[in-house]
Amino acid sequence: MTTYVLRRLLLMLPVAFLVTVGVFLLIHLTPGDPALILLGEDRSPQAIAQIHQQLGLDKPLYVQYVIWLGRIAHGDLGRSITTHQPVGTAIAERLPATVELGLAALFWSLIVAIPLGTIAAVRRGSIADQIATGISVGGVSIPNFFIGIVLIFVLSVTWRLFPFGGYVAFTKDPFENLRHIVLPAIALGTAGTAINMRFTRSSMIEVLNNDYIRTAMAKGASWRRVVFIHALKNALIPVVTIVGLQIGGIIEGAVVTETVFTWPGVGRLAVESIFNRDYTVVQGIVLLAAFSYMVANLLVDLVYGWLDPRISYS
Amino acid sequence: MSRMAAVIVALVVLAACGTQGQPGTQSGTPKHGGTATIALESELRTLDPMDSSLLVEREVFYNMYDSLFTIDPNLTIKPGLVKSWDVSDPVNYKFTLQTGVKYHDGTPFNAQSVKDNITRYKTGATSRRKSDLSSVASVDVVDDSHVNFHLKTPNATLLATLVDRAGMMLSMAAVQKGGQDFSLAPLGAGSGPFQFVEWRRNDHLTLKKNPDYWRSGLPYLDGLTYRAIPDVNAILAALKTGDVDIARVIAAKDVAALKTDSSFVYRDTPAIGFNGFELNTGAPPFNDAAKRKAVATAIDKYQILKNINFNIGVVGYGPIPPSSWAFDSSEKIYDHADAAKAKSMATGFTFTFKTTSDPVAQQLAQLMQSQLAAAGITMQIQTEEFATYQQECANHQFQACGVNWSGRIDPDGNMYAWWHTGGDFNDSMYSNSQVDKWLEDARTNSDQAKRKQDYDNAQKQIVEDAPYVFSTFGVSAQISSNKIQGFTLYPDLMIRMAGVGKS
Repeated sequence: MTTYVLRRLLLMLPVAFLVTVGVFLLIHLTPGDPALILLGEDRSPQAIAQIHQQLGLDKPLYVQYVIWLGRIAHGDLGRSITTHQPVGTAIAERLPATVELGLAALFWSLIVAIPLGTIAAVRRGSIADQIATGISVGGVSIPNFFIGIVLIFVLSVTWRLFPFGGYVAFTKDPFENLRHIVLPAIALGTAGTAINMRFTRSSMIEVLNNDYIRTAMAKGASWRRVVFIHALKNALIPVVTIVGLQIGGIIEGAVVTETVFTWPGVGRLAVESIFNRDYTVVQGIVLLAAFSYMVANLLVDLVYGWLDPRISYS
Repeated sequence: MSRMAAVIVALVVLAACGTQGQPGTQSGTPKHGGTATIALESELRTLDPMDSSLLVEREVFYNMYDSLFTIDPNLTIKPGLVKSWDVSDPVNYKFTLQTGVKYHDGTPFNAQSVKDNITRYKTGATSRRKSDLSSVASVDVVDDSHVNFHLKTPNATLLATLVDRAGMMLSMAAVQKGGQDFSLAPLGAGSGPFQFVEWRRNDHLTLKKNPDYWRSGLPYLDGLTYRAIPDVNAILAALKTGDVDIARVIAAKDVAALKTDSSFVYRDTPAIGFNGFELNTGAPPFNDAAKRKAVATAIDKYQILKNINFNIGVVGYGPIPPSSWAFDSSEKIYDHADAAKAKSMATGFTFTFKTTSDPVAQQLAQLMQSQLAAAGITMQIQTEEFATYQQECANHQFQACGVNWSGRIDPDGNMYAWWHTGGDFNDSMYSNSQVDKWLEDARTNSDQAKRKQDYDNAQKQIVEDAPYVFSTFGVSAQISSNKIQGFTLYPDLMIRMAGVGKS
């Protein structure tokens, strides 16, 4: 087990390296000049040249990459081009809001998806199943920004039940924190709800057809016991995979939702930094996102072992 | 990015007509106490005037920092931290300073502080104020309350420049204490009506009342909160839910409905910028003046004002708007569109118009496309992401490019950089030696009547030559809940909160 984890961690290094090359090239080869964006209506040839020199943008691209990689190797993500704030600090400041939103969305998706998926599987073909299928098709098909706008219009602007956007830290005011997180969490979590429900349903149907379920029923176990104890735990293995990827995708998944709800998280920072060609911040965020995906994948594999003791790590 | 802000502002809140107001104060006596939340159209990047380049940053600065000079709603230069001035010698300006003014950190404002600030702006490694102050050779401290500015060459625009960021005074002790993070947390640095408390980027910026403000009785509010809401529809939603009290921009399509809602106040006044698009005189097809003139003749400004701007604002004829002392109401070279006349000048050619993906910018491009088609001119629309579009327009890689200007208090700021040969914003590569002379003379001449004559001449020539096709003049707007009182509308788009209260 320890050897397995160490091997997986070592394998992350070449993947991380490829990610750095990819992200560096992508953002630097995109048209747009950070100096022009920084200067706005105060641009002059002298000021542009000065900024290029200060940021090292006048050097060849590979030199810029080597300098940046050298910094990364020392744990220094650099400073933001636009605000001069250390990139690590900029991300760390926004990470709690993003993680909170991501977890709330995940929570929303699971408390809806698992019961609905289970009901849909147990009562296959019933009205409940059809409603659940309808919800899942809608949830996957409707983009989350649209769900967000509709939620804002109905629940915030028209009915005034929730604030239209923004963020209040839990430590500052727990009630306001919850009030602010409800709409973005629903908007962000709905697609996940649909996917998780489909996975729960199909996996549950498969499990319910297994011999051991029939045996359990034949032994006189109650219907509830069979579904919730014998079937559900085994049916959740594929759901765990997909949930693991959803956890890994919390950062990038929230990009659009955070923008719609003016949520001060990493996703909004990413959007703003891409528009501003804030190379250092974009690179930092993509590295973080890639790293979180890799860690989430590893955790998923480890959870498999807990759920299914037949899986061994050798 | 402030260009982007200007584009958004101008696209959304354009040129006046309808129920346009006059600059001035909203009725109602302000009360002391309470706080107000203000929407900003984009997030700030810095709180240091030295490296600022965004319009939204200036909106905040005007409430945190004091400038050497101020303006009144008619754009007349008024005393700020400079109490009185003698500019009779065009290269040696003598300023008398306010006394008893203290920065928020308790350090006194004096002549040495002025000198230190100007030196910092002129020499700072990341300073964007260098070109603003390029005409200043040196600053001499006479005594605590007197300071002299020595100029390299006469510069009639300097006082107007010192109204804005180049004239904002900061406590040097606070700057040094803030170190590398000063621009993110300028604690104690200003002397303005409100002082910095906290900035959580992408969330909120909080200021609190300066209890020792040198203008007695001000400010009324106990504090301000700024929220960056980078979508005009979301700004309107925030106004309606009461999450913000004041905004400067909403979508033009929403203005009429808002005006009928008694819980809100909408007012606007002609702003100081201009809207339209650049034609590249350095490359085909617009190196041919006849083709530029044909385009200028075929564009129907009135239709743009009505259909795109919902009659907010007025049609634009040149770079100097009605709010300026240099406005020339007689210049209407390209007034009503005339497709037949345009055809007689040049027709049957094709060009590409670069614009952004903003929905209003797209509608504008489509309308222009149909107007030009009537004159036999084919306009292809190329939509680009903002940074790409900005880079290509600035580097002259375009045939036509939609760019608006937020405007400057002095007319020089609306003309020199744009149409003087080699000017910083001369994307169109326009060059006319006579225009250069007029612009140079207007910049150095202190006689306002003579300056106006220069600007009239230059404007006529530029508009006639059509390196830029002017469509509309924007407005400076105030949209607020009806609880806001004492609001004064200024043409320079800035929201000044010292005299504002909340009932």
